[in-house]
Amino acid sequence: MNLFFKLFLWFLVTATLVFTVIYFVTKTFQTEPMVSRVQRWTRNQMQVYSETANQIVTSEGEVGLRTFLVRLRDIEPSREIELIGEDGKVWFGTASERPAMLDLVGRTLEGGSPSVDFSLEEKAIGTAPVTFPDGRKFVLMLTWEAPRPPSYFFGSWLGYLRLAGMLLTGVVLCLLLALYLSSPIRKIRKATQTLADGDLTTRVGEQVGKRRDELADLARDFDLMAERIENLIMSQKRLTRDISHELRSPLARLNVALEIAKQKSNVETQPVLDRIENESLRLAEMISKLLTLSKLESGSEEFERSTIDLAALVEDVAADADFEAKAKGKSVKLVSTAKCNVSGSETLLRSAIENVLRNGVRYTKEGTAVEVALSNGSHATIEIVDHGGGVPQDEITKLFRPFYRVGEARDRHSGGTGLGLAIAEQAIRAHNGKIKAENVNDGLRVEITLDAIDLKKK
Amino acid sequence: MSRILIIDDDEELCELVSEYLSAEGFETECVHSGDKGLEKARSNGFDLAILDVMLPGMDGFEVLRSLRETSNLPVLMLTARGDDTERIVGLETGADDYLPKPFNPRELLARLRAILRRAEGTGDALPENLVVDDVKLAAASRSVTVDERGVTLTSLEFDLLAALLKNAGKTVRKEALSETVLERKLSPYDRSLDMHISNLRKKLGLRNDGSERIKTIRSVGYIYTLA
Repeated sequence: MNLFFKLFLWFLVTATLVFTVIYFVTKTFQTEPMVSRVQRWTRNQMQVYSETANQIVTSEGEVGLRTFLVRLRDIEPSREIELIGEDGKVWFGTASERPAMLDLVGRTLEGGSPSVDFSLEEKAIGTAPVTFPDGRKFVLMLTWEAPRPPSYFFGSWLGYLRLAGMLLTGVVLCLLLALYLSSPIRKIRKATQTLADGDLTTRVGEQVGKRRDELADLARDFDLMAERIENLIMSQKRLTRDISHELRSPLARLNVALEIAKQKSNVETQPVLDRIENESLRLAEMISKLLTLSKLESGSEEFERSTIDLAALVEDVAADADFEAKAKGKSVKLVSTAKCNVSGSETLLRSAIENVLRNGVRYTKEGTAVEVALSNGSHATIEIVDHGGGVPQDEITKLFRPFYRVGEARDRHSGGTGLGLAIAEQAIRAHNGKIKAENVNDGLRVEITLDAIDLKKK
Repeated sequence: MSRILIIDDDEELCELVSEYLSAEGFETECVHSGDKGLEKARSNGFDLAILDVMLPGMDGFEVLRSLRETSNLPVLMLTARGDDTERIVGLETGADDYLPKPFNPRELLARLRAILRRAEGTGDALPENLVVDDVKLAAASRSVTVDERGVTLTSLEFDLLAALLKNAGKTVRKEALSETVLERKLSPYDRSLDMHISNLRKKLGLRNDGSERIKTIRSVGYIYTLA
């Protein structure tokens, strides 16, 4: 789950919990006791009214009672005051008959004591039995709007409005807060990704704005770091380029000078000059390979990717290598091939395969063939097997190190620069592929695996 | 006597190359910066330019690009050895050949001679004009039109196209192309023929029906297909 959503949810949960706690605490320790106090007080009042009515009717008769009830109505304008007979006829009140109340009247007379019913939805009804001196039984009934517990949020449209307003405010504020906290982080993350993808000019400071907190500090630190990385890589690139230029120039001059010397040479000096030429050639090749390797290793060289027909590429390289091998009484055989496409730089893949293949040709025994096989399973796999006696087991992982030479191969007659396999490894790695070597029978087997792309799917 | 313009910021190298080439019978002039080189190259006083890629200010590619707007002066580029992208960019921009630096002077000489021979007139070896479908090749003016539209080719591309058109519908082997057009034996790992062919394809464009004019026969050669 992303940070923004988490923050938002946490804020929302917190706000809801705080609201709930306050609501219940208020209800339990404030509203409820107040309501029950009011109810108790109302019951007492009903008791007083009932006793007074009974006394008055006994001592002053029906006229006295009527006067009392009128006075009561004046005192309590919010309550409707009625005196209803057993038969439902109204002795005092606005209506003449209350048949709907017969049931309640019956129950009150049966109970014989005043009571207040708060359970009804809209109103509270207080009832008390009143007995006239002639034995007729009546019920004093007070009806009024129920003293609802003052609910802030439930039960009325105002309450719901209040609730909705609170909820909305909460959600909006939480949203803003979450956004405020998470958006700079997201920006910094995006910048990190662009930086990792190689855009070294990425900066984040502008986007984070005028904040003054840890996140702003982080953004500033990021910018400092990015700037430093950019400087380092730029200077490294510059260095690589400068070295290449600086080393190449004297070599180029050396070559031309050598050729002029040759123009003027005699038979005796000719072989020595040829030797110098060979060495200078080797030096040139090593410099170029070293540069290729350093570019690949730093990953600074971005290369264009295209869809490559691997079968054709392998075929091509194998044919070239075969041509070269024939001159030494060796050969290169394409044992099997399969249709497969990979995405990448043709130049890099070509040099990788070429380097491994040339290495095989160099070490395979005279009269034998280096076998090349291309297969396409879950990955594209190129297998290159030579017959050169293999490599001591404990040195096999070191084969891909620059300038690593196995045992007697250290004498330079083999002609390699010691960089071919290292370049191959880096080139394959740049394509997210794998390269590994192992001993088989009488030689070395190098396997290159690359992600194949399924053209049918697209 | 052929006049060669050398554009390279390495003054000592220029001196040495001049000495070497004059011993081989060339007349040379050295320039050490891109913009001066461009100026000289446009002056029409030269038969060929040797152009280094790495130059202060205006680099070799820019010089070549600007030069190609007005001139078909044969250009041999000196590229950084092992840097394939440079090589490819050079050939795409319209260099007649390239040589990775540091180079073997004998090879430089051989390529110079090959380019000059071609520029001076392999033309008379051609039948007057070649017409294949909508492509017209005029030998005398060394000009090419495709569907009445003029196409500017370097002299190497012209010869390459001529060799393919002469054998239109038949496969021309890479070895043969290398020997007749580049005037050198095909060596393994040499990609320059492929690059020149790919430039040629781009310049000629597709046929009206969208098909490719020049087909590659893997590890054999190329074929100019008949519509």
